[in-house]
Amino acid sequence: MDLLNSYRLAMRNILVNADPGTMVFLLMMPTLYLVFMGYMFGSLIGGIAVGGSSIDYMSFLSPGIISFQTLTAGAVAGGMLWSDRRYGMFEQILSGPYTRAEYLLGIVLTTMALAIFGAIIMLIISAVLTGGLALTVAGFALIIANLIIGSVFWGAFLLALAAISKSNQMYNSIQVIILFFASFASTVFYPVSTTAPLALRLVVDFNPLTYVANTVRAGYISSFTPALLDDEIILVVVTAAMFLLSILSYRRVRIGLK
Amino acid sequence: MPVEQENVVEVKDLRFTYGGGRYAVDGISFGIRKGEIFGFLGKNGAGKTTTIKMLTTLIRPTSGSATVLGTDLMHAGKSLRRRVGVVMQEESFDFTTVEKSLDIYGVLWGTPKKEREKRIEDLLSFFELEDSRKKRMWDLSGGQKRRVQVAREFMHDMELLFLDEPTVGLDTIARRKILDMVMEKAKDGLTVLFTTHNLEEADYLCQRIAIIDRGKILANDSVSALKRSYSGFKTVEASFDRDGNEIARLLESIPGVRVERPAEKGEPFKLIGPEPEKTVRAVVDIAVKSGIKLEWLNIHAVTLEEVFLKAVGAGG
Repeated sequence: MDLLNSYRLAMRNILVNADPGTMVFLLMMPTLYLVFMGYMFGSLIGGIAVGGSSIDYMSFLSPGIISFQTLTAGAVAGGMLWSDRRYGMFEQILSGPYTRAEYLLGIVLTTMALAIFGAIIMLIISAVLTGGLALTVAGFALIIANLIIGSVFWGAFLLALAAISKSNQMYNSIQVIILFFASFASTVFYPVSTTAPLALRLVVDFNPLTYVANTVRAGYISSFTPALLDDEIILVVVTAAMFLLSILSYRRVRIGLK
Repeated sequence: MPVEQENVVEVKDLRFTYGGGRYAVDGISFGIRKGEIFGFLGKNGAGKTTTIKMLTTLIRPTSGSATVLGTDLMHAGKSLRRRVGVVMQEESFDFTTVEKSLDIYGVLWGTPKKEREKRIEDLLSFFELEDSRKKRMWDLSGGQKRRVQVAREFMHDMELLFLDEPTVGLDTIARRKILDMVMEKAKDGLTVLFTTHNLEEADYLCQRIAIIDRGKILANDSVSALKRSYSGFKTVEASFDRDGNEIARLLESIPGVRVERPAEKGEPFKLIGPEPEKTVRAVVDIAVKSGIKLEWLNIHAVTLEEVFLKAVGAGG
């Protein structure tokens, strides 16, 4: 596999997707969540206990929204595969000097780039809203590392969905449901207390976005507890499994046949 | 790596089946020489596109063998595709502007920035897309999109170009421009496999033609040789100062000639036979003897269309 080829494909994906529509999807919705929920709920909710300390709601929400970028970036990536299949570019690219593996890696790299770009924008907005950030180098590194892992998970997940979707409408409908479900059934917007219904707590525990949010939040407030290691292990394992599943689904995408 | 062999493409008994059913390509063999424009002529569904997809490694042949640019097709991959250009029959485009679309395609092929900029200007000018350079692809007409798709392929260098019905949806001028560009490139050494069901195009562009139908090659030769081999189908057209059954009866008395009566008043009789010179003499004799004035007489040279129709068993 030629990494330069995957880089070129990622560049192409970014250039093609650098349009106002994608940017609004990638940045506008998380920004609105951050502003409206941050201020509205922030005025209602007091301190939230995280990693043995208490933080205000805006400081809780900001890393959640940053981790949410992995999901929105993944949705853009899955849309790319579908769009390339629908508009003939998948076959055209594979008739050139590219392999399927390079194409796949190109989309994963695009997801990472978009997620990190979106996260940095959200960090800046958070800094503006909260009047500054108290990030440590280790914390920042932890955020980036988990954004990368989260991007691989959601990129692979939505790529697999795009690979098995029979129509654009089907892909878009499922993607919207997943975006809604995964973000609200996680710790992106709120902590899950032991008084929440068990079924809902289980859904949150089985949602990989919970682990992306938890680990990014740990980096954001530089809270390195033993629970962080558990979250990391779970996240890496499910991401590896999803990546393999994605490759299997992706191999089913037929080319060259009408 | 220079190709030593004479044929740039050498195909032997190549077959492809969609899931074990009937063969979409059924044991075809042909060769294409370096710098040649080779036409693949066939109806829709004849097997042209499937052949291109096999030769560009997009799908794996069910059986048979082929070498493309000296590489065994069964073991070929991106190293071969790097030397090849393909304009697919199906529409393909990125959701961006015309100019950016060309640039991105150049990026994908690793064309240096300066070279990309030069090629973009040249191609936009040649394909008369300058006014559309900032237009988004989905705002273009079908013909404009097709022009971008063909232009895009020249954003990189190649040794072999597959053109799968590249002129579908184009007006006459745009079509002729593309054909002339392909001819120019072939003069510079580019080898081209050109599929079409437009017989005039094939006649104008191709040095050799394979006629394919239902996955099988029915004829494969130079255009002139194909016409010669089907020259028995030359048509003599004759118009007289009157129409009617009397003339038809007289013409039908010429031995070995099939007569097609005019479909409409004013159109000529068509006399199809193996020896057009004899037919002409017989028509003149009939006119002189019966006192009918012969107004127009023409030997209609065999066209590629007649060759094609005869080859696929749909005409004559």
